[in-house]
Amino acid sequence: MADAAAVSAIGCVTLLTVAVGARGVRVARTPADFMVAARAVPPGLNAAAISGEYLSAASFLGVAGLIVSEGLGALWYSVGYTAGYLVLLLLVAAPLRRFGAYTIPDFADGRLASPSLRRTTTALVLVIGWFYLLPQMKGAGITLQLVLGTPYWVGVVALGVVVSANIAMGGMKGITFVQCFQYWLKLCAIGVPALVLLMAAGRGPTGNLSALHQPVFTRSTAIRVETSTVFTLNRPAVVQVSGLLDRASLDYGQVRLAAGQHVAGAGAVLRFGAGAPVPTGLGIAQASPAMWDSPFLTAGTGGAHPLVATYGVIIATLFGAIGLPHILVRFYTNPDGEAARRTTLIVVLLLSTFYLFPAVLAVLARLRAPELYLTSDPDSVVLSLPPLLLAGRAGMLLAALVAAGAFAAFLSTSSGLLVSVAGALSHDIMRGGVGTFRLCAVLAGAVATLAALPVDRFSLGLLVGWAFAIAASSFCPLIVLGIWWRRLTWIGATAGVVVGGGACFCAIVATMFGAAAHGWGATLLGQPAVWTVPLAFVVMIVMSLLTSRAIPPHVELVMLRMHLPEALIRRTYAARRPKPQQY
Amino acid sequence: MPPDGLHPPSQPSPPSQSAPPAPPAPPPRPRQVVVWQHDQARLEHDVIGLGDVQSDTPYGRLLVRSLTRAQLGLSLMCLALAVVVVASLPLLAALWPGARRVTVAGLPLTLIVLGAGIYPVLMAIGWFYHHQASQLEARFIDLVDPPDRRLDG
Repeated sequence: MADAAAVSAIGCVTLLTVAVGARGVRVARTPADFMVAARAVPPGLNAAAISGEYLSAASFLGVAGLIVSEGLGALWYSVGYTAGYLVLLLLVAAPLRRFGAYTIPDFADGRLASPSLRRTTTALVLVIGWFYLLPQMKGAGITLQLVLGTPYWVGVVALGVVVSANIAMGGMKGITFVQCFQYWLKLCAIGVPALVLLMAAGRGPTGNLSALHQPVFTRSTAIRVETSTVFTLNRPAVVQVSGLLDRASLDYGQVRLAAGQHVAGAGAVLRFGAGAPVPTGLGIAQASPAMWDSPFLTAGTGGAHPLVATYGVIIATLFGAIGLPHILVRFYTNPDGEAARRTTLIVVLLLSTFYLFPAVLAVLARLRAPELYLTSDPDSVVLSLPPLLLAGRAGMLLAALVAAGAFAAFLSTSSGLLVSVAGALSHDIMRGGVGTFRLCAVLAGAVATLAALPVDRFSLGLLVGWAFAIAASSFCPLIVLGIWWRRLTWIGATAGVVVGGGACFCAIVATMFGAAAHGWGATLLGQPAVWTVPLAFVVMIVMSLLTSRAIPPHVELVMLRMHLPEALIRRTYAARRPKPQQY
Repeated sequence: MPPDGLHPPSQPSPPSQSAPPAPPAPPPRPRQVVVWQHDQARLEHDVIGLGDVQSDTPYGRLLVRSLTRAQLGLSLMCLALAVVVVASLPLLAALWPGARRVTVAGLPLTLIVLGAGIYPVLMAIGWFYHHQASQLEARFIDLVDPPDRRLDG
């Protein structure tokens, strides 16, 4: 029943996406149509489309999962994702629209007149785009795994096929409406379950939220241990065990476990009664109970320097949104700079509304189902919570709604990313038209699908945070300095993008391969934005000052175009247009 | 792709009327950049205004630079405000470790501030900026192109 409902919900979302996209095929005729919806989208619609594209697997599943496993400090991700749009509004929204570039390579080349910088930025668009596609694919993999019981790769391949086929057929004309629809779908799919579950299970003691004692099971819960695991109890508990425990084989025997460390063998099933303490260290690594209410975020850094790691996340998310390759194209669909600002302000409102709900769900999971993070991947907490808290058909329907919303999140973000990656490939590398764009969409989708297969052990929130860190330390300085600083040169920009983006990328790859597990090394490699963003800005400024002969000759003209209100330009058009009565 | 209105000149700027016809080696002239070819609507140059901005005179550059500077100042002020609001919170939490134990109606203070309380503040900064930036541009338009001098009425 739950499966049938969830499968049909996911099927509906996918079909609707394909159908609206297919409707766009008839409208999309030119490459410009395919890429940016012909620049005629009003602010409200556009803001919903931007939010729909922006709210990815990380927002829908990852933030709640990180809060449950790492603690309240993971809220910094949702704060940062929203504040990132505020920074975008303050620094780049209107000038970027007035500049009128489709893509970051277009902006770099148009502003600094350098084909070599265009190639560098194109390469980086591919790196960030593919990096950001990985968590979306992982999300699809674990969602189908949970809903259908299919192996991880089925969901990954399914998402890859649907998205690349849809992009290859429809392009952005269809996608703008799809993205807009998907924002409201995602808001409903997380807001309705959060409010319903809050009413159903929100009342009662809030002791599990406190760090002063270990969480307790709220109902009798069986946990199956997949691989031999050490776990810790902070007070004695009566447990019904079948399988290997502390080197003794038991068959549904009642055991009183003393406080301290125990070893459960592979395949053992432990049944804890209501009120028993939830063990720590079982299953995935999670923060100790005393850390759960910490306002710092230590994910991916080993936890030695929480303040620095938190600032790393804040810097990456605050400045990363500016540099995401699929966001800039959206500003081009605004009619003018003023509309771009209004759109961005609405986006901040829409994102703020959305991010209230993952926190509600995560806190409910912590309060009423603290065993969730022991039995499943924390990224699937949002998906498995509704049936646990609400018995019967209602819980199943809510679970289906959540699954549909999660799939909408993967579909919309990966569509936007794939358009940017395929656009960069076809427009800047292969220099082709619509046919090449379609081919590149399929090609880029295939690469992302293959790359997503081995990343299932990394948390969604962490993966997306890393994509933001790379964008913040490469494209953010390029765009911000390009808009506001006349003395930027292509040599300085290239140096900053290569040094900042390269350092950040290397640090993240080093962390993924486990280069440093603790201390300053783990902190600075795991959340590299704290040093790579300032580094990129400094390199870009110093190298530009050293190569001031390379300042492009048309810089005043470009500045004029980026900063002059369109009203003046329109007025000149009106003055210039021959008046009818003169002829 | 065509920009919205201001093209780089597609043809060289027209030679001035008094230039001698085709000298064998023309002396280096001061470079003229035509931002807008206002061949149909001649704007008067006795008052600094839109014409200066469009034909890139020194006065026009001054005007555009003053606009850019004012916009940058506004953006940086709002950015500083946003950064102070966001970045001061971890520092406060580090300086006052007891804050994490504070609860309001059973909910941790961290959850209330980061989960909901900070969003209205971000919205307020964004709204303030949007309002101020629009006003700033409106004032600039009235400065360079006063309503009583507009050709299109």
